Amino acid sequence: MSQMNPAASGRREADRFNKGGRLRVLLRRPEVGAFFVMVVVIVAIAIASNGVALNPLGLKNNLSIIAQFGIIATGACLLMIAGEFDLSIGSMIGFAGMSMAMMLKWGLPFGLGPATPVTAFFLTLAMTLAIGWLIGFTVVRSGLSSFIVTLAFLFFLRGLTEVCFRLINQSTQISGLPDYKQESWFAWIFGGESFGWLYDLWFALGGNLNRAGEQWVTGLDAKVVWWLLIAGAAAVLMARTQAGNWIYATGDNRESARANGVPVDKVRISLFMLTAFCSTVFAACQVFDTNTADAAKGNLKELEAIAIAVVGGTLMTGGFGTVLGVVFGAVTFGLVANAVFFIPAIDGSYYRVFVGVVLLIAVFLNEGVRKRITGGI
Amino acid sequence: MPDSNTSQPIMRVEALTKKFGPFTALNGIDFEVHAGEVHALLGDNGAGKSTLIKILSGVHKPTSGRILIDGREAEFDSPRDASRAGIGTVYQDLALNPLMSVTRNFFMGREISRGPKPFSWLAMDEMARITHDEMVKIGIDISDPSQAVGTMSGGQRQTLAIARAIHFGARVLILDEPTSALGQKQQMEVLKTIQRVRLRGDIAIIFITHNEVHAKLVADRFTFLALGEVIGRGTRADLEGEDIRHLMAGGANISDLQKQLEAVRLSGRAAS
Repeated sequence: MSQMNPAASGRREADRFNKGGRLRVLLRRPEVGAFFVMVVVIVAIAIASNGVALNPLGLKNNLSIIAQFGIIATGACLLMIAGEFDLSIGSMIGFAGMSMAMMLKWGLPFGLGPATPVTAFFLTLAMTLAIGWLIGFTVVRSGLSSFIVTLAFLFFLRGLTEVCFRLINQSTQISGLPDYKQESWFAWIFGGESFGWLYDLWFALGGNLNRAGEQWVTGLDAKVVWWLLIAGAAAVLMARTQAGNWIYATGDNRESARANGVPVDKVRISLFMLTAFCSTVFAACQVFDTNTADAAKGNLKELEAIAIAVVGGTLMTGGFGTVLGVVFGAVTFGLVANAVFFIPAIDGSYYRVFVGVVLLIAVFLNEGVRKRITGGI
Repeated sequence: MPDSNTSQPIMRVEALTKKFGPFTALNGIDFEVHAGEVHALLGDNGAGKSTLIKILSGVHKPTSGRILIDGREAEFDSPRDASRAGIGTVYQDLALNPLMSVTRNFFMGREISRGPKPFSWLAMDEMARITHDEMVKIGIDISDPSQAVGTMSGGQRQTLAIARAIHFGARVLILDEPTSALGQKQQMEVLKTIQRVRLRGDIAIIFITHNEVHAKLVADRFTFLALGEVIGRGTRADLEGEDIRHLMAGGANISDLQKQLEAVRLSGRAAS
């Protein structure tokens, strides 16, 4: 000890953790990888489409699909942070859409008379939440992987949807429902328009013109508001509430969370109900917007929701991820999905090629970010 | 009882027995801990240390025998009960979540929040301040309570788990092999932490370890277990180094062990 370095004697273990400056702190945010991927995609698509993707109509169409993705990906993200998967999201969308459209066309079950958008929605929501609870309860009680349990429900619900359609409707499609959003405010909040003021303002400022020089687009889809509400509520929940801490704790290490008194089973069941809720909102927006339903609706949406959550920086094994990252992921994914419409030169099937490439790039970036934050776990 | 301390122990265990079917894991354990003391519980693998702490922390129920807290008989139906009675157990895995921040780990499951639960608003600043202060009290100044636990050293994690147990009302602190799986320097950090907690004077520490050197450095009192029974006990002054090593080996003499090793060596040579 005679050779002791005087500089080392005053050092403590805590000094080894370099907090860094403001930029370093920003670069350690878990969303940073997702953010850069999103910026690159926005710029690339704006250039490749000659700005068409960001003109009034392009923005409306893009945000419509981004909002759809965002709604289900938020639920999938929270569930993944808690360490579980839900592969039944797509089938749940199909089931909820079928249920609402069928009640609107054929009336409420058990001869309760004709349905209104309100009764159709809430009866459907009650069913989907019950199914979500059942999925969660099965996972928690059986100890089986949620992958398997929800895979079973993927088949079960899709099959059930088709059977119900054929038995009652004689066809797997319903189209030509009345345009409920014109009369019912409740249908309007799902299928109507939002942010009309923004487009009015755009017109007033001299943009948003059609060929005749009149106002071109009147507003965004109502689902954009649902997306912002759900994502905002989820972001606050995760960052600032006790429930958020429980969700992170459940997904990081379930046994240590349980040892500290976190009700891990309740947390997981509630989140399976949340994904069911998000699927139902997704379906309601679709039904009240287009006044149609189809047994194939929502097909593969569960995988897209998981992919968006992962692009947004959510860790597949749980315990890590943010809602803001998933917002960036949804924007990225939605733009890529829609890109083929704005860039006419390319084949529509390039969509999946892009998605695959973006998914891999984002995951590599996110891995790097996560290792920096968590010390290489 | 060889106990000369006249003050009332915080916790006393009397004739504790635990049977798992035909297997007797613990056979009549007597044991007590006093405030401001470190009680080292030593024994080889399979001696019954883990079973004993699982009973004390409410995971298992004893087959017979009593646990007295402040002289009153206590019965634990769950780890929650034990925790409420003031028994804080820091397990080897520490029950920490590596991806979460120090503050979120410290208050995991017992968050300070306002409003209707569970959607109540977390008081993050207050929690971060308490976490920082409690860690400083037992010797570690973390620079950033929002850093992930995964970025901390093993010694720091141990300190975090101990600070958490104390903050949430542990009067008997059970440390399950806190120095195993740590580097030399971090082991010293943990021993220093134990010393600081001891000096507070109001907490009794049960220090479970394999390592007689560590036990001798901080413990006031020793209990040795072998095959589910107490085979020796005493204060630091009572026990000399050879005694401890002898008891650690489950009652076998070191010279016996040397003879046995020699016999193995010779038989190996004869075979070849």
